[in-house]
Amino acid sequence: MILTIAVAILILMMMVFAVYSVETKDLLYAVVGTMAVSLIVSILFYVLQAPDVAMAEAAIGAGISTAVFVIAIKKTERYEHD
Amino acid sequence: MTFWIVCSGIVLVAVFLATVRAIAGPTVSDRLVAVDALTTITVALMVILGFIYGREIYLDVALVYAVLAFMGVLIVARYMEGGL
Repeated sequence: MILTIAVAILILMMMVFAVYSVETKDLLYAVVGTMAVSLIVSILFYVLQAPDVAMAEAAIGAGISTAVFVIAIKKTERYEHD
Repeated sequence: MTFWIVCSGIVLVAVFLATVRAIAGPTVSDRLVAVDALTTITVALMVILGFIYGREIYLDVALVYAVLAFMGVLIVARYMEGGL
């Protein structure tokens, strides 16, 4: 029961970060939001009894994908304009 | 066991507070430090959940996460400093 409420709170946090990283105009904020989404997804995989998937998500989502996004922002431009 | 479930609830309150700071923080530094704190809170939550489930192999996930998760924060910090 309590763990169900905990998972609901985590999914709510994940949705907040995901909507934020879609809606923001500063792409560096979007990268930080994506990092937080991958963090919470990792906890959710962990709660769903899949620790190997959580480990892969931690390695790829927190490290490599952030590096790729930040290098892409560095090569292009940081602010999104209409 | 009830004690550890209450502990995980308190850690979830910390997750909520770090989320509020990460969304509302006015500069990049605020958001980045909030996500870094969220990483540490996540490791604590993983250890507590592994204890609740009673399986020691789950602690390895928290170990790998603690080793790898600071790398993203490091990369964004290098970008802010202009060194990347």
